Amino acid sequence: MARAWVVFRYGLRYVGSLVLLLGQSLACAVTPPFNAYRFLYQARRVGLGTFFISSVGAFFIGAIISLQMAYLMVSLSAEIYIPNVVAIALARELGPVMTAIIVAGRIGAGITAEIGTMTVTEQIDALKAFAVNPVRYLVVPRLLALLLMVPILTVFAVLAGILGGFVICHFKLSIQHHTYWNMVVTALVLKDVVTGLLKTFFFAAVIAIVGCWEGMNVRGGADGVGKATTLAVVRSFIFIILIDCVLTFIFYFVFNA
Amino acid sequence: MIEIKNLYKTFDKTAVLNGLNLHVREGETKVIIGRSGVGKSVLLKSIVGLVRPESGSIVVDGQELMGLDERGFDRVRKDIGLVFQGGALFDSLNVGENVAFHLDEFTRIRGEERRERIARALSFVGMREIEGLMPSQLSGGMRKRVSLARVLCREPRIILYDEPTSEVDPITADAINNLIVEMRNRLKVTSIVVTHDMNAAYKIADTIAMFYQGQVIADGTPEEIRHCRHPFVRQFISGESQGAITEDENIKFGHVR
Ligand SMILES: Nc1ncnc2c1ncn2[C@@H]1O[C@H](COP(=O)(O)OP(=O)(O)OP(=O)(O)O)[C@@H](O)[C@H]1O
Ligand SMILES: [Mg+2]
Repeated sequence: MARAWVVFRYGLRYVGSLVLLLGQSLACAVTPPFNAYRFLYQARRVGLGTFFISSVGAFFIGAIISLQMAYLMVSLSAEIYIPNVVAIALARELGPVMTAIIVAGRIGAGITAEIGTMTVTEQIDALKAFAVNPVRYLVVPRLLALLLMVPILTVFAVLAGILGGFVICHFKLSIQHHTYWNMVVTALVLKDVVTGLLKTFFFAAVIAIVGCWEGMNVRGGADGVGKATTLAVVRSFIFIILIDCVLTFIFYFVFNA
Repeated sequence: MIEIKNLYKTFDKTAVLNGLNLHVREGETKVIIGRSGVGKSVLLKSIVGLVRPESGSIVVDGQELMGLDERGFDRVRKDIGLVFQGGALFDSLNVGENVAFHLDEFTRIRGEERRERIARALSFVGMREIEGLMPSQLSGGMRKRVSLARVLCREPRIILYDEPTSEVDPITADAINNLIVEMRNRLKVTSIVVTHDMNAAYKIADTIAMFYQGQVIADGTPEEIRHCRHPFVRQFISGESQGAITEDENIKFGHVR
């Protein structure tokens, strides 16, 4: 019991420090001087680093959902509804979460390793000694880049997943291609897309802030950087799942979406 | 100019700075000597706010620094250049961008003039045509010199050198020592130089202060230090492995039989 309390208090303090860092970053993001170059550089890195793998991953997830659903739906002679399931599942849930987890693994870990190395080699101290705010210099471009790119990557992932579903539905279940696309378009309503995309902004912020915070708080040398990188990925995963859960509840019970 | 009184800093219950007093006059070059681990680097970092001492007072140009927040320190840092012991070059930037860091962040100097300033700063430390190299491609001594050039390019009024010649060859070391003297004579720069090289200390210092167990145990002109009777100072400046200090600390260096 006492131990649980200690863990709880630690967790609370940890979340508090993340919120603080997020606040500082947003404050820096809206006040000049702005630096478009660093932001675009990071955005490019996130986009190029993740686009291929998240799209290919989503393509196969779409195909897998179709097959798994076919197993059930064919026996009910309801395979015509598989496109709906694929579209809804991807747009509302799987697209955003899968993209976020891939970005956390690829980009979040990279952020922690990079900033962590800067911390242990005194580069963060050097920034401060040059009167440069490390939050403005390092965190803001990464946060903004992820806020821009994760939604975009998610959109492409959802499209790729729907395409993956199409391959199975068309070639295995012989659903006509215009039927497939019609079903997809009629199934998806605006609020599916909006709730799905809304989540991605939260995921992006979590990945950026956890990654940066872990990097800036590395203790020790290479060993510390390694530990922090693992922690950043694990903690990002946990927060992504938690936030997804909370937001889904809110959307369902409050907005009926 | 720089007035330090009764400074205390503790790491993990061991007092590193233990009521330290130090006075540096305007335009003076103060050399700090002392054994490895006595807190010379900690003192320099305290002056620019990278380490926050628990109590005492640091006054620079009549302004009390203790208790300043980051933004307050940023104003002070604009006047003070710190050459890090480990170089602390930004490893995502090339040599030219490192040297021009201050120009790029805080001024509108670009193009030809920026190039000239970089070349001039590098020539101060005896280097040229390495602007395009990355820090990882440099040797330890080269990194140290680029780090020095990066600070010189800012033209600060106060320079804190943390062992500027520890990794460079004797010829370059002499050139850097001359440079420090010239900065004082021509530009009236106030500096604190941490060094282990006693000959250099005699050559460049207006006054020399010796640290021992978190305090200044001797402070005077090179001549005074050379003739100081204090047994600790005597052992240190003559560089013997046995004497008052090692007796006091109860250290016997091991011998290979
Ligand atoms: N961030 C830190 N955390 C914990 N201990 C520290 C930290 N920085 C310095 N110390 C401790 O403070 C003491 C003084 O360190 P400092 O780097 O100032 O030594 P120094 O006098 O510069 O030595 P050297 O001549 O070897 O550079 C050391 O014993 C070190 O263990
Ligand atoms: Mg040191």
